[in-house]
Amino acid sequence: MAFNKLWVIAFRDLGRNRRRSILTILAVTLGLAVLILMSSYIAGIIDGSISDSIYLNTGHLQVRTEGYEPEKASLQWQDLLENWNEIQVRASAIEGVEAIAPVLWARGFLTTADETIGVRITGIDPGSGFYDPIRQSLVAGEYLGAEDRGGVLVGKHLADSLGINAGSKINLLVGTSDGEMDEDTFTVRGVFSTGVLTYDEGTVYMTLSKAQALTGAGDRISAMIVLTEDTESAEPVAAALRGQGRSVVTWQDMNALILQAVETGMSFYYLLYGIVILVVAVIITNTLLMSVFERTREIGILAALGMKGRQIRVMILLEAGSLAVLGIIGGIILGSLVVWYLMVTGIPIGDQIASMAQGFAMRSVLYTKFVPGDMVGLSVAMLVIVLLGALYPASFAARLEPVEALHAL
Amino acid sequence: MYAIELENVVRTYQIGDVMTHALDGVSLRFAEGEFTAVVGPSGSGKTTMLQLMGCLDRPNSGVVIVGGQDVTNLNANKRADLRREKIGFIFQFFALVPVLTAYENVELPLLLNGVNSRERKQRVDELLNAVGLEDRSSHRPDQMSGGEQQRVAIARALAPRPLLVLADEPTANLDTDNGTQAMEIMQRLNSETGTAFVFATHDPRVMVHARRVIELQDGRVVSNGESAQ
Repeated sequence: MAFNKLWVIAFRDLGRNRRRSILTILAVTLGLAVLILMSSYIAGIIDGSISDSIYLNTGHLQVRTEGYEPEKASLQWQDLLENWNEIQVRASAIEGVEAIAPVLWARGFLTTADETIGVRITGIDPGSGFYDPIRQSLVAGEYLGAEDRGGVLVGKHLADSLGINAGSKINLLVGTSDGEMDEDTFTVRGVFSTGVLTYDEGTVYMTLSKAQALTGAGDRISAMIVLTEDTESAEPVAAALRGQGRSVVTWQDMNALILQAVETGMSFYYLLYGIVILVVAVIITNTLLMSVFERTREIGILAALGMKGRQIRVMILLEAGSLAVLGIIGGIILGSLVVWYLMVTGIPIGDQIASMAQGFAMRSVLYTKFVPGDMVGLSVAMLVIVLLGALYPASFAARLEPVEALHAL
Repeated sequence: MYAIELENVVRTYQIGDVMTHALDGVSLRFAEGEFTAVVGPSGSGKTTMLQLMGCLDRPNSGVVIVGGQDVTNLNANKRADLRREKIGFIFQFFALVPVLTAYENVELPLLLNGVNSRERKQRVDELLNAVGLEDRSSHRPDQMSGGEQQRVAIARALAPRPLLVLADEPTANLDTDNGTQAMEIMQRLNSETGTAFVFATHDPRVMVHARRVIELQDGRVVSNGESAQ
């Protein structure tokens, strides 16, 4: 039988009980929209988190001594990198390198008249392009000058919690290379707000030369941060920079925690995807089964006319396919609209939740991200699941004995 | 050659612990082009016999031969093929596909038989014309009267040019005028096409038109009506 006539029957059958068909299409639409939203939300978090981490903290790769452990922020000379100018010159000649930034990290305490807070002191070259995001996120005061030895930049959360602002005087107590503590007074030159709580509440920037002098690190640095054109360029640049006595770590190594959390989190999201898809499949199965029960007599008539079981099965599957396609179109439209809206406005999760993401560059406002591949994949998955859900009612209809079906007369 | 032959056909149904003999050793022959009524009280086995003749069901024992072919033990697909090509059905409740127009309902068995579009159109137009519904071809069943629907069903049954048409109480839901009109159309088409018609009926209007009347009682043939031929 001509396939298009089966399709005509299947499609027109949807119009018999319009309310039921519309509700079923709506279930597919909402199910897919939720899946698209979840996937875009996760993609937004992952992308944003890794991107923030790379551009505000780690860079695409870092050159360090082999013994350097970033979590300890060691200032022991043997853990620090010497002769880094040579690396800087070499790195700047490699294609794909966008910015190079020598950095010295130290732990310390920021004290005001009323309070003391533990901070990470970061000695930077203010002229490096790597710190453009910090420069651009200044909300008060000014950026550090190249020779500024008395000024620091602090995050807005830190400033707010201590009640300080640009121009305020603060004391910094810093651990030094020989294991002692040293103290100095600084002026808050500027206040930055990156939107990432981890950085905004715990980082103090000063010039590299001042940090080196304060910590007794000499001319040494903790690491040379290298920013490449994109994540793909990181590995070839890393390979070119590897050498005796130093290690080169890439963004994957430095964001292993995020990537591992993503992997763990994804299995949970796949479970949620499965549940949503299963609910839709159950609704489809129920709708079609009811439809088949209502049309038992008619299926008997079609069988009496000589329609074979497989043609009846195809007819019901086409009906399911029509429901699915209409629902999927609706789901893509609705899902895209919501994703687009949340891409623009973001989802505020609050500072407290963001600050719970220890080690994560988590913003207090999360943004969704369009991933067309995921959208196509989820739509195809939805269609397949709907058709699988329709298999039972379709097979039930196909197996009906004509005589029994006609008894429904 | 006979259109259909039944040889010692038995069909029993088990309902709970009770075994019912719907047909109990029925042997009948129907010639090509017959116009035959099967009569008998409710439960006499008329519908069961039509279902077996139409390859909708299989007997417990005995043989059913359609167009010279033993169809008793054919599988479901082969029986579907046979119904599609050789047998037309008319049911008491008109039994049209509600989402299709009159034209599409008549066209359906032709589509199932793979008839090309030009021939389909020609045959559907001819048949709708023959049953007087050429101006109702784009109407759906719910836009037509019972009499019109049954005329569409007659056209549909004849569309694939079957060997025989089986009609189960075709006038039971029609008023006198429509019932008579339907019978006259079927009688005319029987003469014109040579297709055999077998009716299960209580309706005297049908019996009046029949050239042969078979009487069943308790699943057995009381009178095979051959003398009436």
